[in-house]
Amino acid sequence: MPTQDETVNESAISLFSNYALDGSIFDEMFQENGRPRESYQKLLQSILELQASELTQRQQAADLTFLNRGITFTVYGEDSTIERIFPYDILPRIISDEEWKKIESGLRQRIHAINLFLRDVYHEGRILQEGKVPFDLIYSCANYQREMRGVKVANDVYTSIVGTDLVRLPDGEFAVLEDNLRVPSGVSYMLANREVMTQVFPGMFGGYGIRPIGHYGQALLEQLQTLSPKGRDATIVLLTPGIFNSAYFEHTFLARVMGIELVEGADLLIHDGFVYMRTTSGLQRVDVIYRRIDDEFIDPLHFEPDSVLGVPGLFNAYRAGNITLANAIGTGIADDKAVYAFVPEMIRYYLGEEPILRNVETYLCLRDDERAHVLDNLDKLVVKAVGESGGYGMLIGPYSTAKERESFRQQVLENPRNYIAQPTLSLSRAPCYINGNVVSRHVDLRPFILYGGEQENTVIVPGGLTRVALREGSLVVNSSQGGGSKDTWVLQEN
Amino acid sequence: MKYYSVHHHTRYRYDSEVRESTMEVRMQPRTDRQQRCLNFLLEVWPHAQVLATSDCMQNSIHYFDIPRRHSELLLRAQALVLVQDSNPLPGNLEGSTWKELEDVAATGQHWDWLTPSSYARPTALLSSFAEEVSFGKAKDPLHALFDVNEKIPAVIEYTPKSTAVDSPIDTALENRRGVCQDFSHIMIALLRREGIPARYVSGYIYQDPERKDDSDISGASHAWVEAFLPVTGWIGFDPTNNSVVSDNHIRIAVGRDYADVPPTRGTYKGNARSELTVGVHISETEDEDIPHDLLDNGHITVREFAEAESSTRLRIDQEQQQQQ
Repeated sequence: MPTQDETVNESAISLFSNYALDGSIFDEMFQENGRPRESYQKLLQSILELQASELTQRQQAADLTFLNRGITFTVYGEDSTIERIFPYDILPRIISDEEWKKIESGLRQRIHAINLFLRDVYHEGRILQEGKVPFDLIYSCANYQREMRGVKVANDVYTSIVGTDLVRLPDGEFAVLEDNLRVPSGVSYMLANREVMTQVFPGMFGGYGIRPIGHYGQALLEQLQTLSPKGRDATIVLLTPGIFNSAYFEHTFLARVMGIELVEGADLLIHDGFVYMRTTSGLQRVDVIYRRIDDEFIDPLHFEPDSVLGVPGLFNAYRAGNITLANAIGTGIADDKAVYAFVPEMIRYYLGEEPILRNVETYLCLRDDERAHVLDNLDKLVVKAVGESGGYGMLIGPYSTAKERESFRQQVLENPRNYIAQPTLSLSRAPCYINGNVVSRHVDLRPFILYGGEQENTVIVPGGLTRVALREGSLVVNSSQGGGSKDTWVLQEN
Repeated sequence: MKYYSVHHHTRYRYDSEVRESTMEVRMQPRTDRQQRCLNFLLEVWPHAQVLATSDCMQNSIHYFDIPRRHSELLLRAQALVLVQDSNPLPGNLEGSTWKELEDVAATGQHWDWLTPSSYARPTALLSSFAEEVSFGKAKDPLHALFDVNEKIPAVIEYTPKSTAVDSPIDTALENRRGVCQDFSHIMIALLRREGIPARYVSGYIYQDPERKDDSDISGASHAWVEAFLPVTGWIGFDPTNNSVVSDNHIRIAVGRDYADVPPTRGTYKGNARSELTVGVHISETEDEDIPHDLLDNGHITVREFAEAESSTRLRIDQEQQQQQ
């Protein structure tokens, strides 16, 4: 319900007839008084100048482009897996320069502290000895890799590639919902969204100075090159679990963008402590592996013995410093959802700074008093398994059935370490074009951080992936749970 | 103080050719307060470059790979080890040692040795076994250790080949038969349950040929337990023999349980069954005449893997610690 400006025709106004504003939820486009925010004014103008039929045409053109390019993801079901187009919404999400500056500095600070934490835990363990982070919380993590103790990691960079999920709360501030520090995915959708947008809706960019994101592939490649003493001459490969992985499209996409080989475990072998790739002209030494395989599958000799996805003996080559893995092994201890609660403490401990981006209030079920609170408020809270991602293993209290709550109660009681709870958040909403109307839907934001060992040489491509809960009222933005995405614009400095 | 010369030969035979063998070996005796490994040599055939490193528990590891086709893989390890006399144990400890153990646990330093691991984990059978041998709060933890070290072999019969290399402790607890690996896992699980840090030791035991009733085997792979007490530090117990660890025990590696320290761990490509042959010879003097090739004399243990696996990579963890 925008305020009617002079030149707008009736059909354009009716586009917004179903647009809900709610004072308890931050709207990305409109202020509480119904007037558009400054950053959205030109976009609103463009929408109002268009016919609904034209918006529909562009949406269809975008869908077709996604389909033709094979930009898909896989949904794992109990009996079958399905490949789907990633649903796309044509109205961009806009972030002002000022908002972005805060997000960017907050993420640099956070990811640097997390890397210092990882180094500390796998070496001296100061933060654990001093009791700032409980040692049992770390040692009991499923992703704690004791074999990493004392292993020197190239440039002390544990997480070269991070995807941190941000949400915008009713006061308009961004907060961190979770960090993805193992094999974060989604960046190919961020890039594809921009490409499709420029193709099907060039007019929409009119008048906006939007910061480019197309250099992500090059920035990633450069970041990986710094991990090898050979630098630009390093041989880098992308290791994929294969075509059955939900992010296989992204693996092929990134390998192509960077101009590096896409390999599976069987394409690599270890000889005399070094890693080689089988090529048509013989074996070629590999220096850096951008691996999209989880720790437990990467080396059957050291981790999951039945895995055929990995490379036997890889860990010894890694321990000897003959190969770099990005990300390093064992980073999952820092994105455990219970350890997440301690990231603000890590920032204070290692950097002596206050966190720029805040955390979401989190209850640890392993603590008796917090668990009691969680069990008393299952209908209000969101309960999450600490090691899961992608919206799996989660209870959203207000939308749950009594049966689901009872099942979670049992699970929490059986294994309290494995669960945390957070308040049900009012994620901000952004305009989406759905079935001929502009409506508001909940969104989050996953910026992609390329960490280079210090805050200064960390690259964050402006924006990230905005995920949308396309179902009305839904708070779940995960693509595996009916979420979609939209192009994300960070405006240039005025 | 004793010097030992150890020869440890291992042979894998495959019934059809395999390739790309990758193997990691834990055979080099540890160097620490109780012993020093003065010399170690590992030969591999077919020839491979052997590289060395150590794991997160400071055990020495050797690793190598053989890319080309082969149907036999031989390992010959030789070690010269100096083993110190153990410090005498106190007769009694203060009852307050139980409380001190709680303080030890609270530091997190002994997390690995206090929490359940793959093979040393609490089960319902372990609980009833603990009750049966009335293991628990003896007047001090040292007495508890001696007590359980005595009771395990009294209740469970040492029976070669009664369990497999990957048997859970329940198999031995239920059948009341087991080998040194089972005795050790049971004791470790019991100790951790009572808050005593405990770890698994993979090593060799030297048996004086003069005293040995069972022909002239002079040494074998063995496994036992180390427990940590605040006053004494780590103390070795051999529940298979109801003894405290002496200078007849040569320590190779320590881990949470067997899964951390198998003598060999490897993978290869090819659909083949493997047959494993192991020979160990230990002599007490440096210049003792070592049999030229243990695999050709009579004192060897042969185990066959009955089932071939259909996957292209067959795990070949082996089970020489089954012997004693």
